[in-house]
Amino acid sequence: MSRSTTDAPSLPATSPTTAGTTGRTSRGPKAPRTFEQANRRLKWLMLSPALAFVGLMIVFPLIFTVNLSFTDAFGAVNADNRYIGLQNYADALTDVRRFWPAAWRTVIFTVVAVTLEVVFGLALAMLMRKAFRGMRMVRTVLMIPLLATPVAIGILWLLILDPTNGIANHLLGFVGIPPQEFLGSVSQSLPTLMLIDVWQWTPMMTLLLLAGLTTLPEEPEEAARVDGATAWQRFRHIILPMLWTTLLTALVLRAVDALKTFDILYATKGAGGGSSFEVETLNVYAYGLTFDYQEYGLASAVLVLFTLFIIGVVVLLRLRSGRKSA
Amino acid sequence: MSLTRPATPGGPDRTPEGRASLSLAGTALSRRSFGKLLVAAAGTAALTACAPRSGTPSPDAPLRVMAINHVWSQAISAYFPEFEDMIGRRVSMQMLTADQLSNSYNVKLNASATDIDVMMVRALQEQLLFARNGWMADLTDRVEDTAFDWADFQEAPRDRSITRDKVLSVPVVTERPALYYRKDLVEGLGGAPQTLDDLLAMSLELADRDNGQFGFVGRGQRAGAVSQWSSFLYSFGGDFTLADGSSGIGTPEAVAAYEYYGRLLHEAGPPGATNMSLEQAMPIFAQGKAAFYVDADAIYSNFLDPSISTVQETVGFAPFPAGPAGSKPHNIPSWSIGVNAFSRMQDDAWAFVQWASSPEMVARLQAEGIPGARQSAWSDPETLASFPPELAETMRINAENGIGHDRPEVIQVGRARDIVGRPLVAGILGEDVGPVAADADAEFRDFLDRDNRQQEF
Amino acid sequence: MSTVATRTPGSPGPAATTRPPVVLRPPRRSPWGWLRALAITVVSLIFAMPVVWMIAAALKTNVQVTDPSVGLIFSPTLENFRSILADGEILRSMGNSLIVGVASTALSVVIAVPAAWAVGRFSMQRTGSVVLVARIVPAVSLLVPWYYLFAQVGLVGTYTVLILSHMFVSVPLILWIMIGFFEGLPVELEEAARTDGLTAFGAFWRIALPLAAPGTATASVLAFIFSWNNFMFALILADENTKTMPVTLFSFISYASTDWGGLMAAAALMTVPVVLAAVFGQKYLVAGLTAGATKG
Repeated sequence: MSRSTTDAPSLPATSPTTAGTTGRTSRGPKAPRTFEQANRRLKWLMLSPALAFVGLMIVFPLIFTVNLSFTDAFGAVNADNRYIGLQNYADALTDVRRFWPAAWRTVIFTVVAVTLEVVFGLALAMLMRKAFRGMRMVRTVLMIPLLATPVAIGILWLLILDPTNGIANHLLGFVGIPPQEFLGSVSQSLPTLMLIDVWQWTPMMTLLLLAGLTTLPEEPEEAARVDGATAWQRFRHIILPMLWTTLLTALVLRAVDALKTFDILYATKGAGGGSSFEVETLNVYAYGLTFDYQEYGLASAVLVLFTLFIIGVVVLLRLRSGRKSA
Repeated sequence: MSLTRPATPGGPDRTPEGRASLSLAGTALSRRSFGKLLVAAAGTAALTACAPRSGTPSPDAPLRVMAINHVWSQAISAYFPEFEDMIGRRVSMQMLTADQLSNSYNVKLNASATDIDVMMVRALQEQLLFARNGWMADLTDRVEDTAFDWADFQEAPRDRSITRDKVLSVPVVTERPALYYRKDLVEGLGGAPQTLDDLLAMSLELADRDNGQFGFVGRGQRAGAVSQWSSFLYSFGGDFTLADGSSGIGTPEAVAAYEYYGRLLHEAGPPGATNMSLEQAMPIFAQGKAAFYVDADAIYSNFLDPSISTVQETVGFAPFPAGPAGSKPHNIPSWSIGVNAFSRMQDDAWAFVQWASSPEMVARLQAEGIPGARQSAWSDPETLASFPPELAETMRINAENGIGHDRPEVIQVGRARDIVGRPLVAGILGEDVGPVAADADAEFRDFLDRDNRQQEF
Repeated sequence: MSTVATRTPGSPGPAATTRPPVVLRPPRRSPWGWLRALAITVVSLIFAMPVVWMIAAALKTNVQVTDPSVGLIFSPTLENFRSILADGEILRSMGNSLIVGVASTALSVVIAVPAAWAVGRFSMQRTGSVVLVARIVPAVSLLVPWYYLFAQVGLVGTYTVLILSHMFVSVPLILWIMIGFFEGLPVELEEAARTDGLTAFGAFWRIALPLAAPGTATASVLAFIFSWNNFMFALILADENTKTMPVTLFSFISYASTDWGGLMAAAALMTVPVVLAAVFGQKYLVAGLTAGATKG
C-alpha cells in the first residue's frame, strides 16, 4: 500500500510519515494511513470552504479577465462586445505614451524602493540584534509605519512636504537648501514617493530580518571572532550567507507588494498619477483605464500583462534562490 | 502586507510549555470566542443581506435624487416641501462630489439600479456615454408640454440636451468663465483688461512671486484645466475638432492658445499650478494672493463670503477678454437633470424635473444667484438683481458670445481631456509646447478614429 | 589559548543574543555602545516623528498648522476633531470600516482556521499552496471581473461585496499564519485525545483550536488592520452609504485641501486602532508578522 497519495511533498523514501517540511514528530508506519484515510472526508470538509472561496473569487474572475481582454468591451458592463483577438494586447504593447512609461515607472519604483528597504532593513536589524533597554518600545515604534493606513500616510506626508507650509522645507532651510516642491513637482514626485515607501516599509524588512537573525546559530560567528575576523568580515561571510534564504523570501514578498503599490500613489497624486502622469505605474494606469475611461477590454489586457509580469518576477527570484516553490 | 510562510514549529515565543500555560485560559477563551465569531459572522451576514430589494415602489418610498454638492442643489432643496405636497411623495437628495457622483453612476447604472430616480449630470461630460449605454430616459415627448416652454431654454444649452434627436436632460445651471480681478490692483493700469494681450501684460506686471503675490491664478491640473482653457482656445480661433471632425489641437491657433495659457501660469502664476483644480486655485484668489483669476462664474459667491475671502470689497468681474479671434468664452450647461431609465417612478421623476426647471422655479433660483438656462430668467431684470451688477453684465456679455461646449464632443471625454491636456500641462511647466502639441495631435487623431466608431449607436 | 583581542567592547556575551528580553549590560561606557544607542535613537525618531507630527497637527489650529515654525510647543485644541465629526460622515464611514473589518475577519477566521489545521495536520502542502496563490495574483487584476460580475447582480455598493473582497486578502493571510501554528503543535496532544475517544474533529475543536488561540488572535488582529487600511476595494465597490474610512479620507483631501487641521484629525482617527494594536499587542504582532522568517 502506498503512502498517502494526496499532498505530502517529496520526502525521503524511508519515512512514511506525513511530516511537514521540517521537524515534526513522526508517527509509526501504520498510524498515518489509518488516520489519513479515516479522515479523508473531514480534511476536505475543513479545506473546502477556503478552496471554494478562492475558486469563486479568483479562478472565475481570472478567466473572466482573460476572456474580456480579447473583446472590445467598453462603456457599460452589459453592453454588447465583440471578440477582437489580440488587438488589445497589440494596442497596449505598442502604446509608448502611457503603457511603457507606466511599466518603466513600476520597475524603477520597485527596484529603488525595495533595494533601499533591504539595505536599511538589514542595517537596522544588525543594529538591533543584541538586546538593549527599550527594545520593546523601538519595536512598537517600528510597527506603526507599516501598519498605518497608506492613505493616512499619504496625507501626512503631503503636509510635511508641502512646499509652503510643510516642516520639511522649513528644516531644509536651516541647512541652506532652497525650498523643494517635492510632491508638487513633476520630476521629484516619483523619487519622493519612493522615499515615503522606504519610510513605511523598512520596518517590515527590519522585523523580518531581525527574526531571522535571532535564530541564527552563534557558533560560526563565535568561531570567526576567535579566529580574528573583523565585524565586517563576519557579517559578509558568516551572517549574510546564513541569512540568505530569509532575506530572499522577504525580498520576494516585498517586491510583489511594491510592484502593486497603489494606495499611496493614488492618494497623493490622484487619477492618472498626476498632471503629467508622473507617478502612473501599471497599477494606477489599469485602474484609470477601468474606472476613468471605462475601456474594459484594454484594461483587462493590461492587467493580464501586469499579472504575468509579477508572476515572472516571482519565478525569477525563486529560481535564483534555487528553492522549490513553497 | 507581506508574510513569510511558517514552517518551523513556532518561533522563540511558542514553546510547548508556553502554549500549555496559555491553554487553560485559552481553552475557555477560544471555544467561547470561536462561538462568538460564528455568531458575529452570522449576524453580519444577515445584516448585509439587507441589499435593496426590487419591486413596485411603495407609496412611502421617497423619490431619490442624486446630485452634485452645488449651490443649485442646496438652493432647490429648500423648496422640497412645496414639491412634496404637490405629488404626495417625499424627496430624498444625496449630495456628492463630482468624482463620487461619476463613480456612483458608473457603479449603479451598470447594475441597472432602480434606486436612483432623478440624476444630475454634466451634459457635456457624460450624456453621450450614458445615451450609448441606454441609461437615460427619453424626455422628448415630455418636454413638449406647453407649460414647460422648452423653447424658452437658451439655444446652446438646449442643443446640448439632445442626443441622437432625443431630449435626455434638462439644463439647470449654466456656466461661463468670468475674469475675476482685483479692482485695487488694476486701478493704476487702466482697469480690467479687455484683451488677452492686456491680461498677460498686466499679470506679468502685477506678479511679485517672491513675495507671494501672483499675477494670475487658474486651474492647472490636467483634466480640470482643459475646460477653462477652452475659452482661450476659442478666442485664439481654434477648437478641439475642426469642421470636418478631425483633430484641431495641432493647428497654429491651438498651439498659440496652449502657449498663452502656459505662459500665464508659468511666469505669473503660483508654484505647483499643475496640481491645482478649482478647489486649490480658488482660495488663492480669495485670500488676496492673485490679481486675476479665470474660472466658472458660478463660484463668485465664494469671494463675497467673509469667512473665507479677504477680497470682498476689491473683487471685480469682467467678461472674458478678447483674443485674436475675439472674445469667445464657453457658455455651457454645467449641470442638467435627467431621469434614470431604470427608475420605477418615471412619472414622478419627470414631475420633479419639470418642477425644478420650470420657468417659475428657474426665475426664483436665479434671483437667489444661480445662473440657469432659461432666456426668460435672463431677460428679467429682477432675477439679475441678486448678482453683483458688474457680474450680471459680465454674464450677459459672455452668454452672448458664448460657444456651447468646453471640452471635446466625444464619447470618451475622460481620455480626450487627458490627451488634449498634455500640451497644456507642458506649457504650464514651461516646456516647449510645439512638439508636445504635435504628438498630442497625432494621438488625438487616432483617438477620434476609435471614438467615432463608438459613436455608431 | 583563547584570544580575547577581537571581542567588541561593550557587547554582551553570546548567551544574550537569542532572547529579546532586556539584558543588563556591564556598566562599561564604550564608544561603540554609545554610537549604537545613538543610531538606534535617531532611527527610531525618523520612524516616530512623522506620526507624532500628524497627531500634533491634528491638535493645532489651521493657522498654526500652516506655519512651519510652530513646532511641538503649542496649546492643543480639539476643534479639528469636533469639526470633522460634526456632519457624521466620518463617523459613519468609521462604522462601515468597523462592520466590514469585523465581518470579514470573522468569516475569514471561520474559513481559514479549519483549512489551516487540515493543511498542517494532513500535510496538504500543494493544496494549501493553491490558496496561497491568492497572495501573488494582484487584486487589481480581479477588479474588472469583480466589478462586472458584482454589478450585474446588483451587489456593488453593499456590505456583502466589501466583505467578500476584504476576505480575499484576509483568508490567505490567516491561512499563512495559522498553518505554521498548527504545524508547530505537537501531534501527541491530539493523538492522546483521540485515544481517549475523541474524533479527529473533536481533537481539532477541543485541543488544537484552544492551543492556537494566541495565533488566531494575532492573525485576526492583523487581518482586521489590513481590512481597516484597505483602500482600493472600497474605492470601487462601495457607495456613499458603505464607504470605508480610507475612501472618505481620500475624498476629504480634494474638497478640504486647505483644512490641514481637519485632514490631520481624520488621518489620526484612522491611525488610532493601529497605534493601539502596536502598543498593546506588539509582541504577538511581531511574532505573527515574522512567523516563519526563521526557516530551518
